[in-house]
Amino acid sequence: MSILETSALTRTYGPRRGIETVNLAVGEGTLFGFLGPNGAGKTTTIRVLVGLLRPTAGAAHIFGLDCWTNSESIKHEIGYLPGDVRMQPWLDGRTALRIWGTIRGRNLLPAGRELAERFNLDLSTRVRSMSRGMRQKLGLILALVHKPRLLVLDEPTVTLDPLMQTVVQQILREMAAEGHTVFFSSHTLGEVEQLCDRVAMIRGGRIVADESLAQLRTRAGHQVTIRWRDAEAAAATPPAALTVEKREALTWSGVLDGPIEPFVAWLSGRGVEDLSIGRPDLETLFRHFYVGEGQERRA
Amino acid sequence: MNRGVMLKAVYESWPATLMCGLLLAGVEAIVAYVIPTFQAQFSESLMQIEFIQTFVSAMLGIDAAEQLGPEAFAAFPWVHPVVLAVVWTHALVSCTRVPAGEVDRGTIDLTLTLPVTRWGILASETIVWIGTGVVVLLAGLAGNEIGSQFVVEEFRVPLERKLIILANLFCLYLAVGGLAWLVSASSNRRGPAIIIVFVVLLASFLLNFLSQFWSVAERISFLGILDYYRPVYVLRDGSVPWYDMSILLAVGVVLWIIAGAIFARRDVCTV
Repeated sequence: MSILETSALTRTYGPRRGIETVNLAVGEGTLFGFLGPNGAGKTTTIRVLVGLLRPTAGAAHIFGLDCWTNSESIKHEIGYLPGDVRMQPWLDGRTALRIWGTIRGRNLLPAGRELAERFNLDLSTRVRSMSRGMRQKLGLILALVHKPRLLVLDEPTVTLDPLMQTVVQQILREMAAEGHTVFFSSHTLGEVEQLCDRVAMIRGGRIVADESLAQLRTRAGHQVTIRWRDAEAAAATPPAALTVEKREALTWSGVLDGPIEPFVAWLSGRGVEDLSIGRPDLETLFRHFYVGEGQERRA
Repeated sequence: MNRGVMLKAVYESWPATLMCGLLLAGVEAIVAYVIPTFQAQFSESLMQIEFIQTFVSAMLGIDAAEQLGPEAFAAFPWVHPVVLAVVWTHALVSCTRVPAGEVDRGTIDLTLTLPVTRWGILASETIVWIGTGVVVLLAGLAGNEIGSQFVVEEFRVPLERKLIILANLFCLYLAVGGLAWLVSASSNRRGPAIIIVFVVLLASFLLNFLSQFWSVAERISFLGILDYYRPVYVLRDGSVPWYDMSILLAVGVVLWIIAGAIFARRDVCTV
């Protein structure tokens, strides 16, 4: 059963495009990654889901309830982290937990302290003295502390150091294991790869992919960079599986569609000085899978 | 209405309330003492200047050249521009905080994603605003009482009459607040919202002033909210200005309801 569902969801800002006919379905207990470059429509989609924006057309439902008309009921069981966490400068962690607890009708301080310990955040620090990363941690604590049925996180790790990113990922995994659903946006493919069961990609306001990570991985290919020992080696004809996008003197950069082993075998004895094979970042992925504004899939 | 939102509003409001309360108490105490004490000097010097006469007439709503008696001097602390400015400032600061202020600084995202309806947020904020407004006005009354202790008996005003004036001033405060809620509900920026309300209040003040000597302004003076706040009449006969208070209250309530309807329906965009 889908805990979050949108059908032909459209939101425009006057003449400006926001999102167009977005169809999503997120099952309960899923770690769902919502990917896209900056300005693709991730935040607009999320803002419609959490009731900050009204859809221009189409519908968005969470727990089977309309996100605009039943916004209050939905929010009892939602934890939300905005992309750019801003809080009242006078607020400190303890006061925030007290206020949030009063609003939600339960004592959130014990759970908040536990989370603060994991995030290594001093709850007595006022927001005005906090760095962006600390604000992000407090925002995460406030989103997670009431153990919501659905977590909606807009780029949750963007300002965190790698250590804290790992903590966040660990917590999200734990929550998903307990049956909570996590819907989070990101433009970092690595993070999504580590975490998500399923991903949707948005570009130019439209969903261009919505599939499991395994399917996406297969389609993504590998980013390959080869540095040849000499010009003779660099003059080789690439194998069919390798699309060379850039040739610079002795260096090739491109995408490998297919398994790595035959490619490595092809390279062996051809005078390779240096080689890197890795997953492409999201921007590269988009470049390879989709062409132009029409988001036409590559054959 | 939500206790948590009210708690948040109290945290946000207390510095402005404390500041406005102390300021109002101080100004009331000073004006309540100075004007009646030095009324003879005022009458002999300042009140002879035509502009001052017109200005005082506009403030008090009487002909200052002919009707300037003890009540008029006792009414000064309640119509003094600084007093009105402090009361209005508190209303402006309180009523533009949500949503305009919160959209402006980006905190509305978290506020609106808490399990409270927008009407609930507005109602909670409004209760705190009204509560803190009462505190500010009572501080003004306390200041006035202190200042009045040092003036001659003739210029002392019974507490009951002061309370009637205070009620009238409170209705004026609610009307100004209602306007501020309305502008705030339609705005994404607090600064411009405050400026718009301030301009309307200034226009009202100006209309009140011009109506003293310009017949066109006099004919439309009922449009200005200061037309419904005349402490000197309360001091003169002790009557409760039910009509004026009802008008101000109605303006405040209607504007507040429209503000709520706009806030409940509007999109909130901070990015």
